[in-house]
Amino acid sequence: MFETVLIANRGEIALRVLRACKELGVRTAVVYSAADADSAAVRLADQAVRIGPASSRRSYLNAAAIMEAARQVGAQAVHPGYGFLSEDADFAEICADNGLTFIGPPPAVMAALADKSSARALMSRAGLPLSPGSVAPVPTAAAAAEVAEAVGYPVIVKAAAGGGGRGMTVVRTPGELRRAYTRTRAAAQAAFGDDRVYVERYLTDARHVEVQVLCDAHGNGVHLGTRDCSVQRRHQKLVEEAPAPALSAAVLDTIAETALRGALQVGFVGAGTLEFLVDAEEKFHFLEINCRIQVEHPVTEMVTGIDLVHEQLHVAAGVPLRWRQEEIRLHGVAVECRVNTEDPERGFAPTPGRLERFTPPGGPFTRVDTHASAGYLVGPWYDSLLAKVIVWAPDRELALNRLERALDEFDIAGPGVHTTIPFVRRVLDDAAFRKGRYTTGLVDRLLAAPARGSAATPAPRTAPAADPDATHRRTR
Amino acid sequence: MTAGEGAVSTVEASDDVGVGGAASDDVRVDGARSDDVRVGGARSEDVRVGGPSDEAGVGGEDALAGLRRQAQHLIAELAGPVRRIRLRSGPAVLEVEWHPDEVTRPDLPAARSELAPAVVPAPGAPPAVIRPPVPGRAAVRAPIVGTFYRAPEPGARPFVAVGDLVRPGQPVAIVEAMKLMNEVTADRAGRVVAVLVEDGQPVEYDQPLVELDPA
Repeated sequence: MFETVLIANRGEIALRVLRACKELGVRTAVVYSAADADSAAVRLADQAVRIGPASSRRSYLNAAAIMEAARQVGAQAVHPGYGFLSEDADFAEICADNGLTFIGPPPAVMAALADKSSARALMSRAGLPLSPGSVAPVPTAAAAAEVAEAVGYPVIVKAAAGGGGRGMTVVRTPGELRRAYTRTRAAAQAAFGDDRVYVERYLTDARHVEVQVLCDAHGNGVHLGTRDCSVQRRHQKLVEEAPAPALSAAVLDTIAETALRGALQVGFVGAGTLEFLVDAEEKFHFLEINCRIQVEHPVTEMVTGIDLVHEQLHVAAGVPLRWRQEEIRLHGVAVECRVNTEDPERGFAPTPGRLERFTPPGGPFTRVDTHASAGYLVGPWYDSLLAKVIVWAPDRELALNRLERALDEFDIAGPGVHTTIPFVRRVLDDAAFRKGRYTTGLVDRLLAAPARGSAATPAPRTAPAADPDATHRRTR
Repeated sequence: MTAGEGAVSTVEASDDVGVGGAASDDVRVDGARSDDVRVGGARSEDVRVGGPSDEAGVGGEDALAGLRRQAQHLIAELAGPVRRIRLRSGPAVLEVEWHPDEVTRPDLPAARSELAPAVVPAPGAPPAVIRPPVPGRAAVRAPIVGTFYRAPEPGARPFVAVGDLVRPGQPVAIVEAMKLMNEVTADRAGRVVAVLVEDGQPVEYDQPLVELDPA
């Protein structure tokens, strides 16, 4: 095991990784920006290095500064968390060049998988079903129109270099295609420095089901079951649960086994997630693979009893996988909701501010992953994830009740600060969600209907946007 | 030459010259590192002129002349009385000791100068004051995490010394990150009150490096 690990992230995930390191007797060092000087991770780490100003481009995205910090603290490995540099193959290579273990897949595997069209081609060769569309990037608007005609509208134009719900445009009619194609290419060039796009069938009313895999550096791998992340707004996840509900066990097993086969065939190492869309006929289509720990990893931990960050550290240290597939048992149901400092009444606009009150819930089988505390200042510089509330119960009904109970307890208040808790309550109240029969269309349907009790105090509400690329926030 | 305790001029060997009563202008004060005090109540300095590859012999006379010139420069710029100077030409060494009590520079806190060691990295390196930054005092800060250097290259004269007047945009240090030398420039005019970091030490982003008394 490593002696010192440098945590190159902030917020709740920096704390999450720090805790895992401490539990394994690993010395912790964190980097931080000037905006995070009084963060919980900085306070709890054995060592902290200020690497830049609030601007993430000059701090958490600054590979040179992170390498300097790693050198100063004498780290052997870097844990990138999620977001920031976690899926940057160049950063993984820079780590290797500086004699550091990047806690993630090998740089070459990351580079191949970070490109969505290349990942599609690789996974297709590995036998994973793709949603109908182009495997290679489409070079012209005319070529895009040809693909769209072949697979049928609506289609989605996606940036090959995109990720986290960015760089995508849904096209519903042939008349919109040319403009959407041109605009997505321009946006992709601006955001990712790479304007290649591809076109695939846009599945409405599908379920977003993903599979957690864990692979070691010796060719072994296991899957840890499925998660359903269909409760999304503009491709930003709000509620996640494990296992995916209301799908037949046989289909879930097939998806999970297929995902693991794909991961092993592309030489994946570490903790990763393969995302699929599952249509009404329970046919599944590979979307993309994420080469990092994900925000929603705790629901998998709750149903498997396996600490995924511990396993990331073991795998990175070269330890052979400590489980065989038959030893992985799924037990009960876990549900997570994201508490973001956003105002659901104003189009989920971020609402930074100081938290005058912050009392997270407690109680049995209730886990809160957060970096916040009373007095904490939610700044405007980073994403708005404030806390994750995760509950476990033997069955789904009880798990949902438990989550409602936990959210009732959660006390967050500060001038100008709003959270997504009221909206999550509406999701938990929804009859279709309760039955487990919901799709990626759920959030838009809720936003189109007036909130209960809002009739007395009508609030201006932005219309749900049809355009997923309108958002600049990221999901992980 | 001012006579100090050890103000005896001796020639110990043909190429080893002790010159009593010379001086240096180079002071690095670190009150916390009292174990660095090499001569009780005095300061000393080692100066290497040329590298180990310099052969004494053919160039011996030249090297010695060079050392003498260096010594004369130091003496000319000295603030306090000299205790001892030692020159050696192969490999060249110039060592200076002087009495700190008579150092009357107003910018050096008297309490610190009592125990002040003087370990000086480069020939003719101007003074630094190594101490924690004074809160609220104007300072040039590190623009990036990295390694702090006072001079543009090893052995070169540091960018600034205590007492120097700097103008906005003037280089005052280098912070090396990933083998890239990032020049640190003054953001305002002022007089250098202290250099807060030892040469070659790691610094964090925004760490105060050079304290200024704004002009």
